[in-house]
Amino acid sequence: MDIIDNKVEVQNAPSQFSLIQTKGTLDWAYPAFILASTAAAMDKEVEMFFTFYGLKTILKNSHSLKVSPLGNPGMSIKSPVGPEWLKQVDWNQILPGLVWTLPGASRLATWGFKKQMLMQGQVPIEELRAVCLELGVRMTACQMTVDLMGYDTTEFIDGVGFAGAATYFTQTPENQSLLI
Amino acid sequence: MIELDARALACPMPIIKLKKCLAQNIAQNTHILMQLTDKSGLKDIPAFCQQQGLGFELLEQAPVIVFKIWRVV
Repeated sequence: MDIIDNKVEVQNAPSQFSLIQTKGTLDWAYPAFILASTAAAMDKEVEMFFTFYGLKTILKNSHSLKVSPLGNPGMSIKSPVGPEWLKQVDWNQILPGLVWTLPGASRLATWGFKKQMLMQGQVPIEELRAVCLELGVRMTACQMTVDLMGYDTTEFIDGVGFAGAATYFTQTPENQSLLI
Repeated sequence: MIELDARALACPMPIIKLKKCLAQNIAQNTHILMQLTDKSGLKDIPAFCQQQGLGFELLEQAPVIVFKIWRVV
Protein backbone atom coordinates (compact mmCIF):
# COMPACT_ATOMS: atom_id res chain seq x y z
CA MET A 1 0.00 0.00 0.00
CA ASP A 2 1.23 3.45 -0.92
CA ILE A 3 1.98 5.42 2.17
CA ILE A 4 3.79 8.31 0.58
CA ASP A 5 1.26 10.78 2.01
CA ASN A 6 2.04 9.58 5.48
CA LYS A 7 5.72 10.28 5.25
CA VAL A 8 6.77 13.03 7.53
CA GLU A 9 10.13 14.62 7.19
CA VAL A 10 11.80 14.17 10.52
CA GLN A 11 14.10 17.06 11.13
CA ASN A 12 16.57 17.62 13.87
CA ALA A 13 13.96 18.88 16.26
CA PRO A 14 15.14 20.14 19.66
CA SER A 15 15.41 17.33 22.18
CA GLN A 16 13.76 19.42 24.85
CA PHE A 17 10.26 20.75 25.21
CA SER A 18 9.18 23.27 27.75
CA LEU A 19 5.77 24.55 28.65
CA ILE A 20 4.54 27.20 31.07
CA GLN A 21 0.99 26.63 32.29
CA THR A 22 -0.81 29.73 33.57
CA LYS A 23 -4.43 28.76 32.93
CA GLY A 24 -6.47 26.78 35.44
CA THR A 25 -9.48 25.50 33.55
CA LEU A 26 -10.08 22.00 32.25
CA ASP A 27 -10.09 23.06 28.59
CA TRP A 28 -6.67 24.69 29.03
CA ALA A 29 -5.27 21.74 30.97
CA TYR A 30 -5.82 19.15 28.24
CA PRO A 31 -3.63 20.72 25.52
CA ALA A 32 -0.73 21.08 27.94
CA PHE A 33 -0.74 17.48 29.11
CA ILE A 34 -1.43 16.11 25.61
CA LEU A 35 1.58 17.95 24.20
CA ALA A 36 3.79 17.10 27.14
CA SER A 37 3.00 13.38 27.11
CA THR A 38 3.50 13.15 23.35
CA ALA A 39 6.84 14.94 23.53
CA ALA A 40 7.98 12.67 26.36
CA ALA A 41 6.92 9.59 24.40
CA MET A 42 9.18 10.87 21.62
CA ASP A 43 12.10 10.94 24.04
CA LYS A 44 12.21 14.68 24.53
CA GLU A 45 13.11 16.06 27.90
CA VAL A 46 9.94 17.79 29.00
CA GLU A 47 9.71 20.48 31.61
CA MET A 48 6.38 21.93 32.72
CA PHE A 49 6.21 25.01 34.90
CA PHE A 50 2.92 25.78 36.65
CA THR A 51 2.22 29.26 37.83
CA PHE A 52 -0.77 31.34 38.93
CA TYR A 53 -4.06 29.64 37.95
CA GLY A 54 -2.16 26.87 36.20
CA LEU A 55 -1.44 25.43 39.65
CA LYS A 56 -5.00 24.13 39.69
CA THR A 57 -4.18 21.64 36.98
CA ILE A 58 -1.80 19.72 39.25
CA LEU A 59 -3.85 19.60 42.43
CA LYS A 60 -4.65 16.13 43.76
CA ASN A 61 -8.27 17.18 43.95
CA SER A 62 -9.20 17.97 40.38
CA HIS A 63 -12.84 18.78 41.08
CA SER A 64 -12.18 22.50 40.84
CA LEU A 65 -11.04 22.10 37.22
CA LYS A 66 -14.00 23.38 35.26
CA VAL A 67 -14.90 24.91 31.93
CA SER A 68 -17.11 27.94 31.42
CA PRO A 69 -18.54 29.32 28.18
CA LEU A 70 -18.71 32.73 29.92
CA GLY A 71 -16.33 35.07 28.11
CA ASN A 72 -15.20 32.09 26.04
CA PRO A 73 -16.85 32.56 22.62
CA GLY A 74 -14.54 30.06 20.94
CA MET A 75 -15.97 27.23 22.99
CA SER A 76 -18.60 25.03 21.35
CA ILE A 77 -21.29 23.84 23.68
CA LYS A 78 -22.97 20.81 22.18
CA SER A 79 -25.07 18.25 23.93
CA PRO A 80 -23.25 14.91 24.20
CA VAL A 81 -26.61 13.16 24.53
CA GLY A 82 -29.91 13.25 22.65
CA PRO A 83 -30.93 12.98 18.99
CA GLU A 84 -28.43 13.86 16.23
CA TRP A 85 -30.00 17.24 15.39
CA LEU A 86 -29.71 18.27 19.03
CA LYS A 87 -26.06 17.24 19.21
CA GLN A 88 -25.29 19.57 16.26
CA VAL A 89 -26.59 22.70 18.02
CA ASP A 90 -23.87 24.99 19.37
CA TRP A 91 -25.60 26.51 22.38
CA ASN A 92 -22.82 29.01 22.93
CA GLN A 93 -23.74 30.65 19.62
CA ILE A 94 -27.47 30.62 20.25
CA LEU A 95 -27.98 31.48 23.89
CA PRO A 96 -27.17 34.93 25.26
CA GLY A 97 -23.98 35.07 27.35
CA LEU A 98 -26.08 35.95 30.38
CA VAL A 99 -27.28 32.34 30.52
CA TRP A 100 -23.80 31.18 31.52
CA THR A 101 -23.95 33.31 34.65
CA LEU A 102 -26.85 31.26 36.00
CA PRO A 103 -26.12 28.93 38.92
CA GLY A 104 -25.10 25.50 37.68
CA ALA A 105 -24.23 26.64 34.14
CA SER A 106 -20.50 26.04 34.59
CA ARG A 107 -21.21 22.69 36.24
CA LEU A 108 -23.38 21.68 33.31
CA ALA A 109 -20.77 22.83 30.79
CA THR A 110 -18.06 20.91 32.67
CA TRP A 111 -20.16 17.77 32.74
CA GLY A 112 -20.81 18.06 29.00
CA PHE A 113 -17.15 18.76 28.23
CA LYS A 114 -15.94 15.73 30.21
CA LYS A 115 -18.53 13.48 28.60
CA GLN A 116 -17.65 14.74 25.12
CA MET A 117 -13.95 14.19 25.74
CA LEU A 118 -14.49 10.62 26.91
CA MET A 119 -16.74 9.90 23.94
CA GLN A 120 -13.96 11.13 21.62
CA GLY A 121 -11.58 8.59 23.14
CA GLN A 122 -9.77 10.99 25.41
CA VAL A 123 -8.76 9.91 28.90
CA PRO A 124 -9.62 11.75 32.14
CA ILE A 125 -7.21 14.55 32.99
CA GLU A 126 -6.02 12.71 36.13
CA GLU A 127 -4.92 9.79 33.98
CA LEU A 128 -3.25 12.01 31.40
CA ARG A 129 -1.12 13.87 33.91
CA ALA A 130 -0.20 10.54 35.57
CA VAL A 131 0.98 9.34 32.15
CA CYS A 132 3.14 12.47 31.87
CA LEU A 133 4.84 11.73 35.18
CA GLU A 134 5.25 8.07 34.26
CA LEU A 135 7.02 9.13 31.05
CA GLY A 136 9.41 11.32 33.00
CA VAL A 137 7.91 14.77 32.44
CA ARG A 138 9.33 17.13 35.06
CA MET A 139 6.71 19.29 36.71
CA THR A 140 7.58 22.33 38.75
CA ALA A 141 5.11 24.44 40.68
CA CYS A 142 6.03 28.08 41.13
CA GLN A 143 6.72 28.42 44.85
CA MET A 144 5.83 32.10 44.85
CA THR A 145 2.34 31.55 43.46
CA VAL A 146 1.82 28.44 45.62
CA ASP A 147 2.26 30.77 48.60
CA LEU A 148 0.30 33.58 46.97
CA MET A 149 -2.71 31.36 46.30
CA GLY A 150 -2.52 29.88 49.78
CA TYR A 151 -1.91 26.29 48.71
CA ASP A 152 -0.10 23.72 50.82
CA THR A 153 2.50 21.61 49.02
CA THR A 154 0.68 18.45 50.15
CA GLU A 155 -2.28 19.46 47.97
CA PHE A 156 -0.30 18.75 44.80
CA ILE A 157 0.06 15.41 43.05
CA ASP A 158 3.13 13.37 43.90
CA GLY A 159 6.08 14.03 41.63
CA VAL A 160 5.68 17.81 41.46
CA GLY A 161 8.68 19.89 42.49
CA PHE A 162 8.62 23.41 43.89
CA ALA A 163 10.92 26.19 42.76
CA GLY A 164 11.02 29.64 41.24
CA ALA A 165 11.31 30.97 37.70
CA ALA A 166 15.10 31.11 37.85
CA THR A 167 15.33 27.36 38.52
CA TYR A 168 12.93 26.71 35.67
CA PHE A 169 15.04 28.69 33.24
CA THR A 170 18.20 26.81 34.15
CA GLN A 171 16.49 23.56 33.16
CA THR A 172 14.76 24.56 29.95
CA PRO A 173 15.86 24.84 26.33
CA GLU A 174 17.23 28.08 25.00
CA ASN A 175 14.66 28.71 22.35
CA GLN A 176 11.54 26.63 22.72
CA SER A 177 8.95 27.38 25.35
CA LEU A 178 5.21 27.39 25.08
CA LEU A 179 3.03 29.59 27.25
CA ILE A 180 -0.47 28.33 27.97
CA MET B 1 3.56 -10.66 16.33
CA ILE B 2 2.31 -8.55 19.20
CA GLU B 3 -1.18 -7.12 18.76
CA LEU B 4 -1.73 -3.64 20.08
CA ASP B 5 -5.29 -2.39 20.24
CA ALA B 6 -5.55 1.40 20.38
CA ARG B 7 -8.99 1.65 18.85
CA ALA B 8 -11.37 4.27 20.27
CA LEU B 9 -8.46 6.15 21.81
CA ALA B 10 -7.67 9.73 20.90
CA CYS B 11 -4.34 11.54 20.64
CA PRO B 12 -1.99 11.13 22.47
CA MET B 13 -2.94 7.71 23.85
CA PRO B 14 -2.17 5.60 20.72
CA ILE B 15 1.41 6.96 20.75
CA ILE B 16 1.67 6.43 24.51
CA LYS B 17 0.43 2.84 24.18
CA LEU B 18 2.90 2.17 21.37
CA LYS B 19 5.73 3.64 23.42
CA LYS B 20 4.82 1.45 26.41
CA CYS B 21 4.46 -1.62 24.21
CA LEU B 22 7.96 -1.05 22.81
CA ALA B 23 9.35 -0.57 26.30
CA GLN B 24 7.80 -3.85 27.44
CA ASN B 25 9.02 -5.77 24.38
CA ILE B 26 12.67 -4.97 23.97
CA ALA B 27 13.63 -7.87 21.67
CA GLN B 28 15.16 -6.72 18.37
CA ASN B 29 12.83 -8.91 16.36
CA THR B 30 9.68 -7.45 17.93
CA HIS B 31 6.88 -6.95 15.42
CA ILE B 32 3.76 -5.08 16.46
CA LEU B 33 0.42 -5.10 14.71
CA MET B 34 -1.28 -1.93 15.83
CA GLN B 35 -4.93 -1.06 15.33
CA LEU B 36 -6.27 2.43 15.86
CA THR B 37 -9.19 4.62 14.88
CA ASP B 38 -7.73 8.07 15.57
CA LYS B 39 -7.30 9.53 12.07
CA SER B 40 -4.33 11.64 13.08
CA GLY B 41 -2.50 8.34 13.55
CA LEU B 42 -2.14 8.09 9.76
CA LYS B 43 0.54 10.76 10.05
CA ASP B 44 1.47 10.54 13.71
CA ILE B 45 2.42 6.86 13.75
CA PRO B 46 4.79 7.21 10.75
CA ALA B 47 6.26 10.38 12.31
CA PHE B 48 6.81 8.59 15.62
CA CYS B 49 8.32 5.56 13.89
CA GLN B 50 10.70 7.65 11.80
CA GLN B 51 11.77 9.69 14.79
CA GLN B 52 12.32 6.55 16.85
CA GLY B 53 14.09 4.68 14.07
CA LEU B 54 11.37 2.07 13.67
CA GLY B 55 10.17 0.40 10.52
CA PHE B 56 6.48 0.62 9.66
CA GLU B 57 3.97 -0.39 7.05
CA LEU B 58 0.40 0.79 6.68
CA LEU B 59 -1.76 -2.28 6.10
CA GLU B 60 -5.25 -0.79 6.28
CA GLN B 61 -6.71 2.69 6.38
CA ALA B 62 -10.41 2.07 6.92
CA PRO B 63 -12.53 1.44 8.84
CA VAL B 64 -9.69 0.67 11.23
CA ILE B 65 -6.15 1.89 10.65
CA VAL B 66 -3.66 -0.96 10.89
CA PHE B 67 0.10 -0.57 11.03
CA LYS B 68 2.84 -3.15 11.21
CA ILE B 69 5.73 -1.76 13.22
CA TRP B 70 9.14 -3.27 13.87
CA ARG B 71 12.59 -2.40 15.11
CA VAL B 72 15.12 -1.77 12.38
CA VAL B 73 18.18 -3.85 13.11
